[in-house]
Amino acid sequence: MKGIWIAFATVIAAGIVVGGTVSYALMTRDEEVKSIRLATTTSTYDSGLLDYILPVFEDEHNCDVDVIAVGSGQAIELGKNGDVDVLLVHSPAAEKDFVATGYGESRTLVMYNNFVIVGPSEDPLVTENAKNASDAFQRIYDNGTVGMAKFVSRADNSGTHSKELTIWSTLGYSKTQVAAFSSSWYIQSGQGMGAVLDMCEELDAYTLSDDATYYQRMDENIIPHLNMTYSGDSALFNQYSVIPVNSTMHKHVNHTLALAFKEWLVSEAGQDLIASYEKYGHQLFFPNATPQTVSVASSVTSEMMEVDRSVTRVSSPRAIFPWMDVLPFHPVR
Amino acid sequence: MVSTGNELLDVTLLSLYVSGMATILGSAIGIPLGALIGLKEFGGKGAVKTLTYTLYGFPPVLSGLVVYYMFSRAGPLGDLGILFTPTAMIIAETFLVIPLVTGITITSVVEVDRSIKDTVKALGASPSQSIITVMREAWVGLVMACMIGFGRVIAEVGAAYLVGGNIDGETRVLTTAIMLETRMGHFEWAMSLGIVLLSVALMVFLFLRLLQEREML
Amino acid sequence: MKTAIALEDVSKKYNGVVALKGASFAVSKGEVFGIVGPSGAGKSTILRIMDLLEAPTKGRLLIDGQYVAQTDARAETVRRNIGMVLQKPVVLNRSVANNLGYSLMIRGWDEHRIAEVVDAELKRLGLHGRRRTNARNLSGGEMQRLCFARATVHAPSMLLLDEFAANLDPANVSLLENQVQEYMREDGNRTVVIVTHNMFQAKRMCTRIALIWDGEIVEIADRKKFFENPEDARTAAFVSGESVY
Repeated sequence: MKGIWIAFATVIAAGIVVGGTVSYALMTRDEEVKSIRLATTTSTYDSGLLDYILPVFEDEHNCDVDVIAVGSGQAIELGKNGDVDVLLVHSPAAEKDFVATGYGESRTLVMYNNFVIVGPSEDPLVTENAKNASDAFQRIYDNGTVGMAKFVSRADNSGTHSKELTIWSTLGYSKTQVAAFSSSWYIQSGQGMGAVLDMCEELDAYTLSDDATYYQRMDENIIPHLNMTYSGDSALFNQYSVIPVNSTMHKHVNHTLALAFKEWLVSEAGQDLIASYEKYGHQLFFPNATPQTVSVASSVTSEMMEVDRSVTRVSSPRAIFPWMDVLPFHPVR
Repeated sequence: MVSTGNELLDVTLLSLYVSGMATILGSAIGIPLGALIGLKEFGGKGAVKTLTYTLYGFPPVLSGLVVYYMFSRAGPLGDLGILFTPTAMIIAETFLVIPLVTGITITSVVEVDRSIKDTVKALGASPSQSIITVMREAWVGLVMACMIGFGRVIAEVGAAYLVGGNIDGETRVLTTAIMLETRMGHFEWAMSLGIVLLSVALMVFLFLRLLQEREML
Repeated sequence: MKTAIALEDVSKKYNGVVALKGASFAVSKGEVFGIVGPSGAGKSTILRIMDLLEAPTKGRLLIDGQYVAQTDARAETVRRNIGMVLQKPVVLNRSVANNLGYSLMIRGWDEHRIAEVVDAELKRLGLHGRRRTNARNLSGGEMQRLCFARATVHAPSMLLLDEFAANLDPANVSLLENQVQEYMREDGNRTVVIVTHNMFQAKRMCTRIALIWDGEIVEIADRKKFFENPEDARTAAFVSGESVY
């Protein structure tokens, strides 16, 4: 009797081990088919954009793109350590630093989406009528400090968080000063975008959100008491860039495929595909890799005019002529 | 990754594989370690026990971070290239299982009555035979140790996300899938995945209970 | 007669508290030696030292003509030739048959021989019908009889009994005492040491008896002398107060 049981347990254990080993072996063989690892922010993945565009690239190049969707900060850290081949992120300052320190090969603009200010649907502060994003923030600050409003911050070093800090800086508040705002109205959540919106719903608070997450939360009827209370300022555009990890720093990265991925994203086919993605009845991402698409977006923003001077790879024409991104035509492609 | 063509099944099987392997490895290390600590007399035993119990509270994300730094390309074992694979997840989860299994094993073997230990010795058992007999007397506790270890890792998300990366079809397990669906606002789908996870856990626990309940005759 | 076991000036302290001081006596082969005394007098300590479960703080132990200490490599072999039964029956969490067979299993007997011996022994004990039952489900008396059989099934040459029949009903007490008698009958070179506080039992079974008082052996005498003509006043008092027990 004892023997049977021990045999049974052994078979189960052995089954798990052998099954696991076999599956792992098969997986490794799988990886011999070309694949790259893309570290990206949760917004591109969770919105469904990548699931929409990546199959096209994977088919064309007969490869796998393994997506690791994390915060911008973590994505850049993964790149620094050489654990991924290419980044698609939206944290301009950190990106420039990433390229300047040699970890990233080059930074190429791909697309932007919009940040919006979200608040209680009755909008007691009428941020709706704000002159610009800074003005809206000023109203939230003024009311917040006297206990009339609340603001939930991501406070997680994400791209959204750094955008928020940029706006506070236009009002003269440094990062340290913002972090020292009274917790009675300025809530530093350390949470993802969706969770922050859920918090605002519960607290009748304002926040800065990317529009995709906001639309999605609205669509699922999770945040019925919230509204988009301010949008449209070009300061609220959220620029995404693609950065292949520097292969001179990390020899093992799949540089060829990473480069192909970058070229494809900024190609006409890639850009058109991004523009055609709609969700919740809205276009969520606006391609702006080339001057042509900039004109499609019909407004030239400071972010879009931003010149990438940190490019190090000499073989790319873009590296030699970094300003050509903003030309109304593309001399070399 | 073996694909069954059914995404949910793939994710569930990977969860089982990662948690199962971590439990087996963690128990293979933790049970002998716990028996050693529990049955041997040595200086600083109290401190070792306290340390073991303290590690019950070892945060999963921290375990993930340690394993990340170990296997990151920039880390000492980066050349193995196992980051963002189930293997890395198993290693991180194993670290979480070891203290639990060790601690519960210590308690279980210590709680075997002194009179049993004396009797076994008086009947003429050698030290190693004594240990095996005491372990068998502690059987219920040892299986319990495996259960709790498995329970911790099947429900764990921090380490799994950090070193696994939640890659679709490669390293996505039930918990990271639940986290993703929650983040995407698909609360109902996330709840359904939670029910799948609990059902899987139920099956494993039923098997372990059966193993525990039976009298070792 | 040949000496089976001898204590030479054996003392034991537990954390500075004296449990046994300077005990010296010898037990010969063929003897049923009784150790009596009030509880806490150090009876069990003597037995644990004799079974090498405990090392004496001072003094030496002679078994079968050789000095032996708990830490000796030989200790395990020596202990394997001694059977011990405690007051509380201690069974392992396994079947009646496997409890009985345990003594043989750890001595490396092969499975078929174990099964044969266990079968025969269980029939003798009247427990054959319950051989597959978990031993924990036996009654107290059955359990103790099983423990006794387990301690003697490998035919050790010495048996140490620590209040082995206390708290049992008269029927089981007499069954167990018969088992002791049978054990002695089988081989004239065997030795039994019984620790008890039951004067009737000592009178019934022992050939020689020692009284231990406060960790000290106050008198050792043959049964007749011990009960009828003790030298020490404490022995006289203990023997006359036997109705208490």
